[in-house]
Amino acid sequence: MNKVIIIFLCFFGLFTASSCKKQLDTTPFNSVTDASAFETADRCLLSLNGVYDAAQSGAYTDGSFRGYPFGAANIEQGDCRGEDMLNVQAFFQVTYQATYNATTANNVAMWNTLYALINKANVAIDGFRKAGGKNVLTSAVALQYEAECRFLRAMAHHELLLHYARPYMDGNGTQLGVPWRDFPINSSDAVNLIRATPRATVATIYNNILTDLDFVETNLTAVPASFVSPATKNVRVTRGAAVALKMRIKLHKGDWAGVITEGNKLIPATITPLPWTAPVCPIGSWSLTANPDGPFADNASVESMFSIRNDPLDAPNVNGVLPKMYGGAGFGARGLVSVSPVIWNNAGWLCTDKRRTSLVAATTNASGNQSQFSTKYRKYTTSDDFAPQIRYAEVLLTQAEAEARNAAAVSTRAVDLLNIVRNRSLANPAVEQYTAGGFATKNALIAAILLERRIEFLAEGKRWGDISRNAVDPNFTTGGIPAKAVNGTDGLANFVCGAGYTPGQAAIPYSDFRFLWPIPATEVVQNPIVVQNPGY
Amino acid sequence: MQMRKLIVSLTAMFFLVLNAAAQDRTISGVVTNEKNLPLAGVSVGTPDGKNGTQTDNDGKYSLKISATARVLIFSYVNYQSATLAVGKLLNLSVSLQPADTKMEEVVVVGYGTQQKKAFTGSSSKVDAKQFANLVSPSIDRQLAGRAAGVQVTNAGGLINAPARIRIRGTNSISQNNDPLIVVDGTPIISGNLAATTNSNTLGDINPSDIENIEVLKDGSATAIYGSRAAGGVILITTKKGTKGKSKITYDAFVGYSGALKRFDLLNAADFITIANEKLRNAGLAARANTNPSAGSFDTDWQGMVMNKNATVMNHTISLQGGGDKTTYYFSLNYSDQKGIIISNYNKAYRVRMNIEHEANKFFKIGNNTSISRQEDGDQNNGSNALGGSIASALRLLPNVSPYAATASGWNINYPANGNMQPGANSQSVDDNFSNVAFTLRYNKNYSDKYRLINNTFMELTPVKGLKFRTQLGVDMLNDYSYQGLTPLHGDGFGTAAGGTNGSLFNSDQTWLRFVVSNYINYNLTLARKHNFFLTAGHELQKETYKFLSASATNISDLFYIKENLISGAGSIQTVGGNYDKNSLESLFGRFNYDFKNKYFLQATVRRDGQSALAPGKKYGVFPGISVGWRPSQEKFWKNSPVLSKGINEFKIKASYAKVGNTLGGYPYLSTFGSANYGNIGGIAPNLVGNPLLQWETNAKYDVGVDMQLFNGRMTLTADWFKNDINNIVLRVPTPPSAGVPGNAISQNIGSMENKGIELSLGFNVMNKKDFSWDVNFNYSNVQNKVTKLYNVGGVPVPFIDGSYNIIKVGEPINIIYGYEYAGVNSANGNPMYYKADGSLIQMNLNAGGVIGGYYYALSKSDPILGVRTTLSTDDRKKLGSGIPVWFGALTNTFRYKGFEFEFMLRYSGGNKIMNITSQEALFNQSFQNNGKEILTRWTKPGDITSVPKLFFGAGNAISLNQNANSRFVEKGDYLRLQNVVFSYTLDSKRIEEKTRGIVKTVRFFTQGQNLYVWTKYKGADPDNISAAGLDAAVSPQLRTISMGISLGF
Repeated sequence: MNKVIIIFLCFFGLFTASSCKKQLDTTPFNSVTDASAFETADRCLLSLNGVYDAAQSGAYTDGSFRGYPFGAANIEQGDCRGEDMLNVQAFFQVTYQATYNATTANNVAMWNTLYALINKANVAIDGFRKAGGKNVLTSAVALQYEAECRFLRAMAHHELLLHYARPYMDGNGTQLGVPWRDFPINSSDAVNLIRATPRATVATIYNNILTDLDFVETNLTAVPASFVSPATKNVRVTRGAAVALKMRIKLHKGDWAGVITEGNKLIPATITPLPWTAPVCPIGSWSLTANPDGPFADNASVESMFSIRNDPLDAPNVNGVLPKMYGGAGFGARGLVSVSPVIWNNAGWLCTDKRRTSLVAATTNASGNQSQFSTKYRKYTTSDDFAPQIRYAEVLLTQAEAEARNAAAVSTRAVDLLNIVRNRSLANPAVEQYTAGGFATKNALIAAILLERRIEFLAEGKRWGDISRNAVDPNFTTGGIPAKAVNGTDGLANFVCGAGYTPGQAAIPYSDFRFLWPIPATEVVQNPIVVQNPGY
Repeated sequence: MQMRKLIVSLTAMFFLVLNAAAQDRTISGVVTNEKNLPLAGVSVGTPDGKNGTQTDNDGKYSLKISATARVLIFSYVNYQSATLAVGKLLNLSVSLQPADTKMEEVVVVGYGTQQKKAFTGSSSKVDAKQFANLVSPSIDRQLAGRAAGVQVTNAGGLINAPARIRIRGTNSISQNNDPLIVVDGTPIISGNLAATTNSNTLGDINPSDIENIEVLKDGSATAIYGSRAAGGVILITTKKGTKGKSKITYDAFVGYSGALKRFDLLNAADFITIANEKLRNAGLAARANTNPSAGSFDTDWQGMVMNKNATVMNHTISLQGGGDKTTYYFSLNYSDQKGIIISNYNKAYRVRMNIEHEANKFFKIGNNTSISRQEDGDQNNGSNALGGSIASALRLLPNVSPYAATASGWNINYPANGNMQPGANSQSVDDNFSNVAFTLRYNKNYSDKYRLINNTFMELTPVKGLKFRTQLGVDMLNDYSYQGLTPLHGDGFGTAAGGTNGSLFNSDQTWLRFVVSNYINYNLTLARKHNFFLTAGHELQKETYKFLSASATNISDLFYIKENLISGAGSIQTVGGNYDKNSLESLFGRFNYDFKNKYFLQATVRRDGQSALAPGKKYGVFPGISVGWRPSQEKFWKNSPVLSKGINEFKIKASYAKVGNTLGGYPYLSTFGSANYGNIGGIAPNLVGNPLLQWETNAKYDVGVDMQLFNGRMTLTADWFKNDINNIVLRVPTPPSAGVPGNAISQNIGSMENKGIELSLGFNVMNKKDFSWDVNFNYSNVQNKVTKLYNVGGVPVPFIDGSYNIIKVGEPINIIYGYEYAGVNSANGNPMYYKADGSLIQMNLNAGGVIGGYYYALSKSDPILGVRTTLSTDDRKKLGSGIPVWFGALTNTFRYKGFEFEFMLRYSGGNKIMNITSQEALFNQSFQNNGKEILTRWTKPGDITSVPKLFFGAGNAISLNQNANSRFVEKGDYLRLQNVVFSYTLDSKRIEEKTRGIVKTVRFFTQGQNLYVWTKYKGADPDNISAAGLDAAVSPQLRTISMGISLGF
């Protein structure tokens, strides 16, 4: 037996010598560990870009990239909740007809990707603060990166409020908002910290958003030098964009004076609607392009204050990307969302308006029938239309509305601001432009501004925001989810300029539970402190 | 392992021959088997061992024996020895009968073999001969029904999709559930791995090269594989050469496949009626056949997509033999099988060379090599993809022709748009489903795979009973895939102005696995009654994975859509890549002890280290133990005429082991992955890891009996088993508002159990000289139950939600969970449901209420809409279990002279199927075709039907798409005529005479596979289900008829 054991040991030893514990000590080759993500200045910048990426392309419920939340989806959902764009087939039908429930993929994806963006921003903010503390980043750069993240965090929380909460003006922010997140959640322990945090009130969220945006305004330069080359000023956050977003937030709050204060930082005191002269923003030189088509012909136009970048090699897939969804089938796109006769036939939209021709075209839709399609997104092959979030035109129209509402009578400043946007699209501004005298009341002016927003921002997803914030405004409410053209309506016979249109799909009153989206079932189940919206 | 025995007896024989003493006379004769076929290699000798020989290939022997010899002993492995008196005979022929005690067989176990009588674990041997010639690209698709406890599902008729194998139930929720597959001692890469096609990595093993398949099921048998044994282990042993004259075999078959059952769709006339009725009910104008002058067609879209007679052929030539020291087995195989979807095919080219050399009694060396190439063709199989082969075929308009007067001759609209032309309708098919007849012919999904499986071993036998074996296994698999999508139509549609405009994609992935094993087997018998058997060793496995892909869209010319991505062919180019590496290092040991072949004890342990786990958590120990007792060897049994006559062999065994289920990736690490912002480089969190993660553990219990009755004519095996599965890794959801990547952090937290019984019965009903009848039957019943999930806020979650299924404590995994359909309101055609509180509600499709709104109803014929309500997720209930509970098979084999007739019936049931195909496709409410069942829709008050009023555009709402709905939940029970094989073996004597000894055996066979299914399930096939019991537009099953010949030279 001894001999056996000796032989065994020799033999065994010979072949096991090759093995050692090292074999088991491998680490991933395709991901860096969280411990090293903020180790160098270069990686910090990569991590910042990763936060923007979360804004461009969060994971849909099936894991695919459909441009949630801001790469395409906020625009598509914002439009399909409204009446001015029309869902052609089944794609956005659930949103269009408000038949969502707590597991509907689009609504779930919006919630999930917005919070994924918020958490990535919070993780990055934490990383940048530590990197700044260790001199990996200079304190100026650390603050700049943090500011950019806080802008995205603010914008994401506001998008959540738009869909999952009643507007601020319903009860001055006392309604139930959404949970506010401002610390990194990167472990089970951190997850447990949020389980005690209920939905904050709408007012709390607005206050937090404004605090974030004040920080952004303070810590960003007009256009940081690093945004010039390579040119990223349109797709990264600048001080101008921060102030513009503040205007939007205050508009939703009904804080007209606040909007005006912010707007005056971005709009010159003198504006010249006729002869039309492009106003230039004192912060960052943002301006209007000469033609309404300008911001869409050129992703990097002077008007595009903040867009989410899409690229031929990194765009949402065919189930989300804007040019495929909004582009007509005749242009090689999918023709799934057309312009609705509701807005097209609106008598307030002049038949000669350039936006009817340079930004809309008739072609076939997904059903093979003719319809009117927005041509704002036109990279039908390469899909690299940026997703516009803030245009200088919005700054002007927001300021116009605030001025109009804040004034006791018809505000000429408001009329000028309205005209500066509208006149560039008119065939004959000298004749067709608005005049202060043309408005019998201040409300008539406000109505014109609101209509102008529908026309100017058609197919930019802004419609729902306006419906939501005005829902409790006795003068300008749509009453809830407005009546819409019947899903799938097509045929050019339906599109007649100025003819008016009687929509076939009934309105849903503001009081109806469907005015709000359901909180995803997964949230309510996992985190019962987040209560479901009533009715779901 | 019969081979080894044979070798031993042959060696013994040579020894005898050498020692032959002086002879007195010569006796000769022929030895045949029970079918009167000659048996070669039978040992013939005298009891004293002084004289001996063996029979030649014709079964003939000739032996000189001394005058004093009284008897001759004829012995042959697996046959009963015969001892015959010689008398004064010069000629003595005998027919040997198969050994009646199956207990003498050996069982292939991990790192060795054991005698079946001493085996205390639970395993099933699958005789590879049973299906070596059946039409199948790989063996997994033929395993169904072959072994108790092994549930095999062929979910659909795609020939290159691997079967789903579950040994003793579903053993994990989130991790791998597939068994470990070990070929000749090397754990091989398995799964569905190609990038652009389904691909079956088991297809690299030629079924006719397989000698034996042993399925290890219980803990004690699998424990030697430690952390990979939770899903069971399948050990495949390939053929080895045998000493003696070489033997050449040529097997060939040809056959045809067609769909066992196609979908029953509307014809053109019915489509027009239904489509316009949908529209009319929604207040819309007719769209179908509004322009009859455009021509009337009645297109069978399934016929455009499916082959009626998909051909298959297979040729194998093998050579085996060996000399004194070296044995070899060599085979070449070519197989070409077409699927029923016209673009679906598999071609395989497989070569095997197994060689063993015994240099001397101390040293043996050998090598098993398999080199294979598989080509797979496939298509878009998306269950609701616009280019999905079945998804489209079910929806395309039957009154529209696939052809049109276009440049291509096909009904497409290039370059204007990606739609089809509407034909006589005012619009083309909704949702832009593609002309799939065109795309299946012009798009290409192809994979080319090369595989080398090689293992080299050396065995040293320094002293009797002790064997050292060292083995180096290599498994190298390369998949080179291509996808070309034409710009003319379908998924790649576009022009230079817009759209994808053609898409080319290539990927190259290589897996390389090394397995180095060193182990000893040591056998010791003391005092003729204490038998010890020890196995111990070390194993290291390393695997690397490399991936590279490239794609181009917006291609410059149609010319490039042919075979491969060509540089510069497309203006939008992307590349992708990945690399991964993992390893497993193990020590293992097994100790067997038996006393007098009556009492058995086995203890096994394996310690595995895995690279996927956190430092300090990498190692786990997996022990197993089993005991056995053969009362039939006890005196009381042998002395009892009742017991010993009735039951020749009786063994009771029990086992327990704790095995594991490995994890993939690096789930313990929190990582940042690539996250480019509009193609500006970026990184972002992609995983929040859990450093505490460990293996899932699976405690397997088994109690069983092995019996032989009626002189061995009947064998019966019965097992009760239970798998207690703990530490199940669940992706414990984090609230989405936490924003954690994937909204989950994995934890070892769940528990589940599988328990059940297995019965196997083999019965030789009749065994006459010319006629025999064998029956084999097996039955399994596996009850799965989830016993623990995670907590939320300290409170156990009632269930894990999903869209059609939930995972709920106390229920089997993935029960189908959804809304309970109450039928159709006969007054107004509204679909009706029950809310959780039992109240009856209807979804309104009529004027006077909100279309799609839910209202209470007093009865199923109540014309009035009650109070408005909702149907919410809380109204869902259990609609059935998605996994079959009982299954098995019955095989009858009849032999008459050279004829053999076998049929196999397979059954399965106890499950429910959620028929998504029906829900989403066959009952859609879009401008698309439907299944014939829709003709029974409600049309007027008083109609009693289960199909609601048609309503254009309300399909999602009417059928509750994306949710389980009891309207579409059906029983999955079935009985299937799986195989019928008829063969005729010619009289080999006459063949040899006629061919002057060139041809030795000739066998003709004809066989039918999957000939019929008895089921109430209305979908294409009750086997077309996912692991969760969902049937979503899967290709119908194949029915195959084939015939072939087997020649021996």
